[in-house]
Amino acid sequence: MSLLAAVRPDEQNLPLFLHVLGAMVLVGSLVLAIASLGGAARAGGAPVTRLAFRALLLGALPAWIVMRGAAEWIASKEGYSGDRTPSWLDVGYIVAEPIALFLLIALLLSGLSLRRLDRGGGGGGGGGLLRAAAVLTALMLAASLVAIFAMTTKPS
Amino acid sequence: MAPVYDWLLFLHVLASFLLVTTTVVYSAVVLGAPAPARAISVANVLWAIGGLGTLLLGIALAIDVDAYEVWDGWIVGAILLWAAATELGRRAQVGVDANADGTARWHWLRAIAVLGILVLMVWKPGA
Repeated sequence: MSLLAAVRPDEQNLPLFLHVLGAMVLVGSLVLAIASLGGAARAGGAPVTRLAFRALLLGALPAWIVMRGAAEWIASKEGYSGDRTPSWLDVGYIVAEPIALFLLIALLLSGLSLRRLDRGGGGGGGGGLLRAAAVLTALMLAASLVAIFAMTTKPS
Repeated sequence: MAPVYDWLLFLHVLASFLLVTTTVVYSAVVLGAPAPARAISVANVLWAIGGLGTLLLGIALAIDVDAYEVWDGWIVGAILLWAAATELGRRAQVGVDANADGTARWHWLRAIAVLGILVLMVWKPGA
């Protein structure tokens, strides 16, 4: 999202496009996941749990990789490395890394819940796992909001 | 940069995230996922907010930033794509509500229009 409203060298456009697109799909997948996790935690059911799991696995995870990889690409093109990073970029790093960790944990929790449901043992335990995954997903969304703010306003 | 510009840009970008969120949810639906009715309702609301937000805040940005004018080619192109995406989204929404044939086609065309808007916003041809 850096420099989204500015005219910049052409060579930065493709990595910026991929960075923004990855971030957008990441947020969209997280919203889909949290809506599904909420529904699955309340009413149960393997199909909705599977949707949440797939939203995280096939949507959020690849999108995070694209977003993060493209961010590194832009940073290298702009000459940011080591200690030579502006504070708004540091915010991006600080937010992006925990999102990856939370994403992997949420994937694990929803995957375990789905496995229980597929085995026909979808009792109370699955609901707890799904609620925990939903909380982590909500935290990821909140962190994404912070990152969007930092990337667009670039506080010094 | 003036705070007004910062807020306009932040909210404009945030609104565009809402558009893509709706596109992601609808992509799951047309691919056969059993999306909860609440998720589809939320997606429709996000599309309405994101649509208005991107348009109004985008025009406000074009007025606020001296380097751009609302009638610049890439901005006019984005507005036209926005209008197309709005109509395609309306058709996709009607299709999902009625479980009608052709829903996937309207949805994917909308996704392409949204992608086109993002391309114009990043590359800004002619700016």
